Amino acid sequence: MKIKLTSVMVDDQAKALKFYTEVFGFVKKRDIPVGIYRWITVVSTEGHADVELALEPNGNPVGKAFQDGLLKQGIPAAAFEVDDIDAEYRRLKSLGVVFTQAPTPQGPVTIAVCADTCGNLIQLYQPPRS
Amino acid sequence: MSASPTSADTFARLCRARDRLREVHDRTLTIDEVARDASMSPFQFIRRFTAFFGDTPHQFRIQARVDRARELLALGGHSVTDVCMEVGFSSLGSFSDLFARRVGMPPSAYRRHACAMVTVPGMLPTTLFPGCLLLMPAAFAILEKQAAGAPVTLDA
Repeated sequence: MKIKLTSVMVDDQAKALKFYTEVFGFVKKRDIPVGIYRWITVVSTEGHADVELALEPNGNPVGKAFQDGLLKQGIPAAAFEVDDIDAEYRRLKSLGVVFTQAPTPQGPVTIAVCADTCGNLIQLYQPPRS
Repeated sequence: MSASPTSADTFARLCRARDRLREVHDRTLTIDEVARDASMSPFQFIRRFTAFFGDTPHQFRIQARVDRARELLALGGHSVTDVCMEVGFSSLGSFSDLFARRVGMPPSAYRRHACAMVTVPGMLPTTLFPGCLLLMPAAFAILEKQAAGAPVTLDA
C-alpha cells in the first residue's frame, strides 16, 4: 500500500487548475474529461514527483457542505510544505493571494494560511530546519 | 493587494456574504445590499470577495443558481419552469440560455439525462454529482481506451 494520491475539493476545476499551476506552481499531471467534470491531478516539481494531488469537483452537496464547514471554521483543507515560508508568502502576495494568517511561528514550525480561490484555506508550513 | 492578512472579522463577513449570495430564490437582493451588510463599500466588497473566492459576487451567485438548478432537475419532480422560478430567474429564456452555456446542454435535456441515471429515488446520481475520488475509475478507463486508439465516449 502506498500513499500516492491525495485530493482537495474545488468549486471550479478550470479555475483550480489555473490557480494550482500558475500561482502555487504545481505541474499538471493528468487532465482527463469525465462527463461534465475532469480528472485533474497536479504534482510538485520540488517534492516527490510521483505524489499527485487531485483537484476534485465539489459537485456533491455533501462535499460542498464539508468544504464550506471547514472554510467557515478557518480550518485548512490541505497543507503544503515550503522551504522558505517568508519568501513564499511574499511571492504569493505579489500574485494577489489573500492570506488569513501571515507566517507565524508555532513552536518549531512556522505556519501561514491562504485562500486557494476555490473555496479552501490552505496551510503552508516550514518545518524545523534539521 | 492588501498589505496585511485578512482579519478573522473580515473573513467571517466575507463568508456570511457568500452564504447570502447562495440564497438563490431571493431575486431582489442586490450586490450593494450584500456589501453593505458586510460593512464594506461595493468596490471594496467586490475586490475582496473576488481575491478570496476567485469569482466576483455576481459570478458566484449565478453559479450557485445553476448548481441548485442542476440538483433540482436531477432529483426530478420539478418542471423546468418551476426550477427556473425557484432559483431566482423570472425569464425562462434567459435561464435556459445561461444554463446551457454553463452546463453544456439546455435544462430540459439535462433533466432527461440526469433522471435516467437516478437509481434510487431522491438520491443524486454520483456520475453527475461525484463524491470523493469517484471520477478516477472512469478517468483511467478513458485513458486506457485512448491508449488502445479507440474513440472516446463520455458517460455523462
